[in-house]
Amino acid sequence: MTDRISLTPSRHLKKRYRAEKRFKACCIGALVLAMAFLVLFFTDMIRQGYSAFYETQIRAEVTYNEDTVEFAMDSVSEEVFPLVSRAFFRGVPRQVENNPDLMDTTQTQWLTAKADVDQYLKGHSESLDPEMKASLEQLQADGDVGYGFNTGLFFSGDSKIPSNAGLWSAFVGTFYLMLVVLAISFPIGVATAIYLEEFAPDNRFTQAIEININNLAAVPSILFGLLGLAIFINFFGVPRSSALAGGLTLSLMTLPVIIISTRAALKAVPQNIRQGAQAVGASRWQAVRDHVLPLALPGILTGTIIGIAQAIGETAPLLLIGMIAYIPDAPGNLTDAATVLPAQIFTWAGMPERAYVSLTAAGILVLLSLLIVLNATAVILRNRFERRW
Amino acid sequence: MRTRDLTGDTAEVVRTPTTERSPVRQATKMQVNDLAVWYGETQALHGVSMDVLENEVTALIGPSGCGKSTFLRCLNRMNDLIQDVRIEGEVTFDGDNIYAPHVDVVELRAHIGMVFQKPNPFPKSIYENIAYAPKILGQVRKRTDMDELVEHSLKRAGLWDEVKDRLQAPGLTLSGGQQQRLCIARAIAVNPSVLLMDEPCSALDPVATATVEQLIDELKDNYTIVIVTHNLQQAARVAGYTAFFHLGEIVEFSDTDSLFTHPREKKTEDYITGRYG
Amino acid sequence: MLVFFGGLLPLATVAYVMGRRKALVADARGDRLHSLPGQYGVYVATWMALPAIAIGVVAAGAALLGVQVPAAPFVLIFALVGAAVGGAMALRRVEPGLRARNAIEKFVYWTLFTASLVSILTTLGIILSIVFEALKFFNQVSVWHFITGTNWSPVAQFRPDQQTAESQFGSVPLFAGTFMISAIAMLVAIPIGVLSAVYMSEYAPYRVRTIAKPLLEILAGIPTVVYGFFAAITVSPLVVDVAALFGLNASYTNALAPGLVMGIMIIPFISSLSDDVINSIPNSLREGAYALGSTRSETIKNIVLPAAFPGIMAASLLGVSRALGETMIVVMAAGLRPNLTWNPLEDMTTVTVRIVDGLTGDQAFDSPETLAAFALGLVLFVVTLTLNLVSIIVIRKFRQSYE
Ligand SMILES: Nc1ncnc2c1ncn2[C@@H]1O[C@H](COP(=O)(O)OP(=O)(O)O)[C@@H](O)[C@H]1O
Ligand SMILES: [Mg+2]
Repeated sequence: MTDRISLTPSRHLKKRYRAEKRFKACCIGALVLAMAFLVLFFTDMIRQGYSAFYETQIRAEVTYNEDTVEFAMDSVSEEVFPLVSRAFFRGVPRQVENNPDLMDTTQTQWLTAKADVDQYLKGHSESLDPEMKASLEQLQADGDVGYGFNTGLFFSGDSKIPSNAGLWSAFVGTFYLMLVVLAISFPIGVATAIYLEEFAPDNRFTQAIEININNLAAVPSILFGLLGLAIFINFFGVPRSSALAGGLTLSLMTLPVIIISTRAALKAVPQNIRQGAQAVGASRWQAVRDHVLPLALPGILTGTIIGIAQAIGETAPLLLIGMIAYIPDAPGNLTDAATVLPAQIFTWAGMPERAYVSLTAAGILVLLSLLIVLNATAVILRNRFERRW
Repeated sequence: MRTRDLTGDTAEVVRTPTTERSPVRQATKMQVNDLAVWYGETQALHGVSMDVLENEVTALIGPSGCGKSTFLRCLNRMNDLIQDVRIEGEVTFDGDNIYAPHVDVVELRAHIGMVFQKPNPFPKSIYENIAYAPKILGQVRKRTDMDELVEHSLKRAGLWDEVKDRLQAPGLTLSGGQQQRLCIARAIAVNPSVLLMDEPCSALDPVATATVEQLIDELKDNYTIVIVTHNLQQAARVAGYTAFFHLGEIVEFSDTDSLFTHPREKKTEDYITGRYG
Repeated sequence: MLVFFGGLLPLATVAYVMGRRKALVADARGDRLHSLPGQYGVYVATWMALPAIAIGVVAAGAALLGVQVPAAPFVLIFALVGAAVGGAMALRRVEPGLRARNAIEKFVYWTLFTASLVSILTTLGIILSIVFEALKFFNQVSVWHFITGTNWSPVAQFRPDQQTAESQFGSVPLFAGTFMISAIAMLVAIPIGVLSAVYMSEYAPYRVRTIAKPLLEILAGIPTVVYGFFAAITVSPLVVDVAALFGLNASYTNALAPGLVMGIMIIPFISSLSDDVINSIPNSLREGAYALGSTRSETIKNIVLPAAFPGIMAASLLGVSRALGETMIVVMAAGLRPNLTWNPLEDMTTVTVRIVDGLTGDQAFDSPETLAAFALGLVLFVVTLTLNLVSIIVIRKFRQSYE
């Protein structure tokens, strides 16, 4: 034979290994970059938003009497007045109405500070009116300035007064929207999936439906907005800005998601379960209803939750059907003008005052938490019930 | 090493063929010493030893699941690619232990070619299928040399006449038997000294099988071939030596004629006469 | 509405019980039933609910369309009568030989089939809603001008009869902006998406894979309005600062920031689709390459990726389609000014921005600017539809070839 073969890497092979290392580094780099974006994104949102979860409060003596009910600005001292959120003064008559005992008393209360003051103390803005600054420093020296949890963020509606603006009406709107989406897209989506997976003949028409569904899943969301505007609102006369109009539009967007995941769940149920059921005399539908659907249910629910989560985060089509209106009070029913979390975020993002930046970021954190909870539920559901045949 | 006692007789060392076919003692190309393989918790090979003789065809037979493929894939360290695999023992190639730390798998695999059960041509042209490896290994740089090598390899694999007019056609457009010969041509293009074949004909029809068998017969003058086969007639036709595997051990290893005519173990006899349960 | 369904439920229950009772009586007489007693019940209940629901739906639809309909109580009565008639007729038909089960089976089949038509209707709805308004637009503005004009300057028109002489609807700058931003996005998303998919499917140990995959999916789950805020508040100023370092002047509504952020958003789409595609390449190809002495990266670059190319291409096309149609990021971070430029540091606007702008203002619904939004929507639909269809078909073919 020829000379002995060496099994140690040759020069050429060493060069190839360097290329190998470079390529692998590129791949790792890509993943690391993607992760870095994620980290950057979340730290940025938290940095921008955390301060909106607490608010500056000022301790003051509040006097309730006939005069102050009429001219609420007189209910606190002159120094304190410019520092306190205007929303408080608006609420004085209502406070007395709700609690008549307050009349003709003087109470020591922690009042929500004005957004300017709040932003100044949180270090978001440098400037503050010199007079206000002076009284604020006086109050600070007396220990009359403190921080409290911003309950208004969750429990009040939108407001043009930043210190008073909250997400409540958006929560309610999102809830209604979710109901509509669920009520429409879940039954239709599951039914479509069952039809395609269990009943449909394999012909051109079925293939067309399939391709159509895959396409719908990729149609830009804004086009669904055009559909909602032209068909639901202009043609059928569903009230503009209502949760019903938004829900109908988003249902159509959610439909393909539910169909595709339900089909996957049905496909995962092995064929012999259907055959077994039919062998003991069950009809096709009975086999599906009694044997296949229960097994596919976790997968179906997972897909539904993911679809709903997507719908909750959607904004673009809602802009077109007018769901960016200013909605201070929570809608009472499906046809009232409503706003939803992402639309509220969008509205706040467009506000000029600095205080709305933190509010927007806080709203984003709340929305993201909601989505994470939903998706985590979906993942847990999947892992819990996932079965491999 | 000792094989597991299957018959109740005293077990004996089965490592070299127990009988010799020709008076000329051939050189040993590869030597397997006490090879044990685990996939996770399950052991697939229980300390197997065997010599592979140079320029010979050695067939591995045995019921499915007995570890033939596992054994074969240890010879070019393809099993390294599988997760949770543990390999103990020694395999030498020209006297070097291929599992020694200094040995480079990529280098090793270029010297020990492999042909798989299912033809797996790359989704490239026929020409590119063959040119791929010599190119990346840096063996051939000039276009004319490459043309020559492709032609030579295809001729050796007996495929040239069938494809010489459509070298740029995708390899996947060939028939199954042609695809398998393309894979053989691809393997010999890098000029390995050992060729491992894992049931190369199991996906082929009888005509294509005959062609491949004839090819193996021609190749054995220049290559050391180890072939796994399910087909006992095939082993009898192409192999000089045959090893019978059972439950992760070698029961009997001898020259093919004696193994098929005078098996020394009861198990072997049962298997080759079809009485195996 | 609530009354309607609330009333229907007990009625249907009654019908069910009656149908079942009749069947049971027959059974007790010793007649052989074709189906289970309960199935006769369902049969009767279905025949009863169907007319009632049909009447309700027709009435509701008519009311929404503005047709004069009798007051709600009358509708209710109508529905009840329909239900009674349907139920009674079905009940009469209940006898042992009736194939109630087959009837139910058929009913279920057609219900499911009808549901599957909704998705087709949705696509039709999109097409109709866009095409009609777009046609109105092209009655006022020539198609040629729309496609080739380089000046987009609609003059806000608050009443339909206002003069529109000065309005210009040349859409080229909008498409230029859309393509610029999408191109930036794809430059970010394709390499990062594909390479991280390669890492996860070919290199990563199992543990890394199980952690990295869901993390990437988080990127896909972030709502676009959030990305828009991120682009406007964080990335745009960053781009301006970095550009200033190089002595360049960048606008605060530059095209680069939304492009980059959109790219980040699309990474997970490309990576998860590519991951699927790469995983579907049979292992035998990889083994074939390794057995010839390829290194891992050579196997990936020369064998796996070329084999996966159609799938990765399709994934990228879907990504492009997403980028073209993305709205919130550009609405929040890109400019409003139509601007025909090659410089991504200038502000540019996009098709989707102008759609939103045209439909959220106070213009009359028939003003050309509003209609122009639909014309832009039509173009967007046609382009994305083409991209989607090509990639869907390529992916289907690809799946079949490796099944
Ligand atoms: N990748 C693997 N993972 C786990 N077990 C395996 C793997 N490959 C083979 N085995 C097991 O090892 C044993 C031997 O398999 P193999 O070598 O393929 O047998 P043969 O080729 O003789 O049919 C079998 O029991 C098989 O189940
Ligand atoms: Mg095998």
